[in-house]
Amino acid sequence: MTLTGDGLQPSEFAVTAARAVAECTALSLREQARHLANDGLLGVIAAQDVGGLDLPLAFAVPVVAASGSGLLGFPLIEALLVGRALQESLPRAAEAVVSGEMLATIAWQGGVGAEREGESVVLNGWVARAACASEADCLLVRIGTGAAVLVPTDGEGVVVEDATGLDLTVPEHAVRLQGVTIPAASVLPESTWNLLCSDANVLRAAAILGSADACLTLAQEHASTRRQFGRALSYNQAIRHALARQKLGLEGIRHAITRSVGGEAGALQRDAAFLAAGVYGSAIGEGALQIHGGMGFTWDVPVHRHLRRVRALQAQGDASGVLAALGRRYVGAIAPVADTAVSG
Amino acid sequence: MTVIETEPPEAAAAAELSGEAYRVAMRRWLRANLPASFCSDSAAFLPPTLPQSISWEAAMYRAGLAGITWPQVYGGHGRTLREHLIANQEIGAFAMPESVNSIGKELAGPIILAVGTEEQKRRFLPAILEMRDIWCQGFSEPEAGSDLASLRTRAIRNGDTWRINGQKIWTSGAYRAQRCLVLARTGPLEDRHRGLAMFAVRLDAKGVRVRPIKSIDGRESFCEVFFDDVEVLQSDALGAPDEGWAAAIRVLEIERATNRMYRAWRFENELRHLIAACKSDPVLAQLVAGHHYAVKLGELVVDIEVLKAHVETAVGALVNGDRIGARGSLAKLHWSEAHQRFAALALELLAQASLPPPPAVQVARRRFEAIYLQARAETIYAGTTEIQLGIIADRILQLSRGK
Ligand SMILES: Cc1cc2nc3c(=O)[nH]c(=O)nc-3n(C[C@H](O)[C@H](O)[C@H](O)COP(=O)(O)OP(=O)(O)OC[C@H]3O[C@@H](n4cnc5c(N)ncnc54)[C@H](O)[C@@H]3O)c2cc1C
Repeated sequence: MTLTGDGLQPSEFAVTAARAVAECTALSLREQARHLANDGLLGVIAAQDVGGLDLPLAFAVPVVAASGSGLLGFPLIEALLVGRALQESLPRAAEAVVSGEMLATIAWQGGVGAEREGESVVLNGWVARAACASEADCLLVRIGTGAAVLVPTDGEGVVVEDATGLDLTVPEHAVRLQGVTIPAASVLPESTWNLLCSDANVLRAAAILGSADACLTLAQEHASTRRQFGRALSYNQAIRHALARQKLGLEGIRHAITRSVGGEAGALQRDAAFLAAGVYGSAIGEGALQIHGGMGFTWDVPVHRHLRRVRALQAQGDASGVLAALGRRYVGAIAPVADTAVSG
Repeated sequence: MTVIETEPPEAAAAAELSGEAYRVAMRRWLRANLPASFCSDSAAFLPPTLPQSISWEAAMYRAGLAGITWPQVYGGHGRTLREHLIANQEIGAFAMPESVNSIGKELAGPIILAVGTEEQKRRFLPAILEMRDIWCQGFSEPEAGSDLASLRTRAIRNGDTWRINGQKIWTSGAYRAQRCLVLARTGPLEDRHRGLAMFAVRLDAKGVRVRPIKSIDGRESFCEVFFDDVEVLQSDALGAPDEGWAAAIRVLEIERATNRMYRAWRFENELRHLIAACKSDPVLAQLVAGHHYAVKLGELVVDIEVLKAHVETAVGALVNGDRIGARGSLAKLHWSEAHQRFAALALELLAQASLPPPPAVQVARRRFEAIYLQARAETIYAGTTEIQLGIIADRILQLSRGK
């Protein structure tokens, strides 16, 4: 891994990212892509050959966290990961994604069958949870157990269904592929998908951290300014304790992510960061909504949008599947007690 | 057996080591020297007697596993906080009993290092590490638990001596201790935080009476301590008379953030033991292989990983020279509640074993029943859950309390 050769720190990206995210508010998806690319944000983890900065995943964390707290309506996690995933096999396409010319997304759920026909591959299947697929130029889709393939969304046989799900700013689509023919060169190697998913879950945790942070700040502000019974809400211990628990959850997410991108981290730490983010992040969003009372149900208060996103990200990374698999792996790795066992 | 025969002290050799080499040396030493009978996950488990504990802990100290960061002039090993963390990770990996002198090593020691005189450091610190002085903590009183600032035990100064009168309660381990870290009032009760001082009181001093209380686990682990005109020399007063509260707060911050830093790794040891025990019983093996418990056990794994993240962050902050302050409450709140969730699940699982349960399950039951009961105290001592939430709200979130 290259790291901080020129003294860069992940936190330095937070400020740039927060500003860029704020500036994206009124822009179209394509304008956002170019704007984020101009600040170098889409290529944080992509190779320099394709216009990226070639930094470790830790540097994408503050960028994605800023996109969460600013409720960026752009498939940022996907752009970051697709740019890097394509850099070896399809460097041109990678460059287009990193420079913001091409809008890329990933269908996180489902996979397709692929049949080779000469220099082409024919795809059939049904995939889902593809953020902003209706506007994207291309879509990364899983084939079989671990390979992936890049599919242009305007190709014949590609049908993008109407958006479903809770997150309205980054709508998720299901996509049908019926006899879609693409060049064999668009198929990425077998290891691609697992790496994508593992990194995506760290970045989802980061996005949730950003949203949860924003929710807690809103709840804190509301508790200090809203008055009932002649006092600020924050006077009441029940409210103070609820906010304190939210703070505990927030710091738990933050520290777990830091740990998951540290030198000795592996799959366990990554899964833990994602799962902790899902559980605490939802609790913080729901808690913030509760503290806002009726105010939280007015559309203008953004807490609901954060909560929608947190829940969508949790499902997108298949939190319950990851949790059960983690438990099963953990149990599986431990041998039964032997007769004379001592720990250690 | 009262003397633990350990392999020749490797401290001299280990002193040269750092980082991972130090870890390996500590792990090897523990493997070679920790008696199986001290480990609650062993079929041979027989809780050590007090003299056994004392000589075992003295041996651990000589091997480099206590006083890790304390300066060498006071008997410490002068190592870094990172190495302290490494040692704790290794200690946590074994199901060994908790120190009988954790108050001395983890509370009294650090406070003496912070506010003690040079003479006090030289007198008290080596005695703690060598296990000549076991300490207890005399803060709580029958009328002052969460509201520590309302404590009534009085200390009145007359020249070079103080006279202490009052009563402490829930003083863990007082029956076996030589010294008590006493927080007492030197000013009027209305002053609350001001006018509190800390003392190192000898428990064999005239006028001290220790009465054990039977506790939830059936053992007599904590005590009432009565002070009836107890004379304490000024040389045993810790810090300036009015600084007692500040010193107490500092002690408690340490207690919450870094005390028993091995907890996260011990917790992992407990979870692994639980699973290993379950897998040696056909009924439980099937249960833990199923979806329901995969999810529940997965949640505990996440709890443990998050706890490690809290601990490592705290160590990182301290290494950077930050004071840990109120952030210690975050780790305390998390471990105390997570450990209770774990203990309840362990009981639930083990209750479903085959009949008759295999020996491994019986060993586990004995251990986890004790853990379950002890864990109920973890949301109470070192400041209750409600007090931690209050600290986070006041000092971290700085929520307004005014009108
Ligand atoms: C196993 C064990 C070992 C201990 N060892 C020691 C020791 O060695 N030395 C020592 O000095 N002390 C020791 N303690 C005492 C411990 O520190 C106190 O029990 C603790 O601080 C709580 O005080 P209390 O028991 O008086 O409960 P109280 O303060 O009376 O609290 C009772 C309940 O009310 C809640 N409560 C209190 N105030 C508030 C508030 N303002 N807002 C909301 N809820 C509130 C508490 O959270 C708790 O749930 C030990 C306790 C236990 C259980």
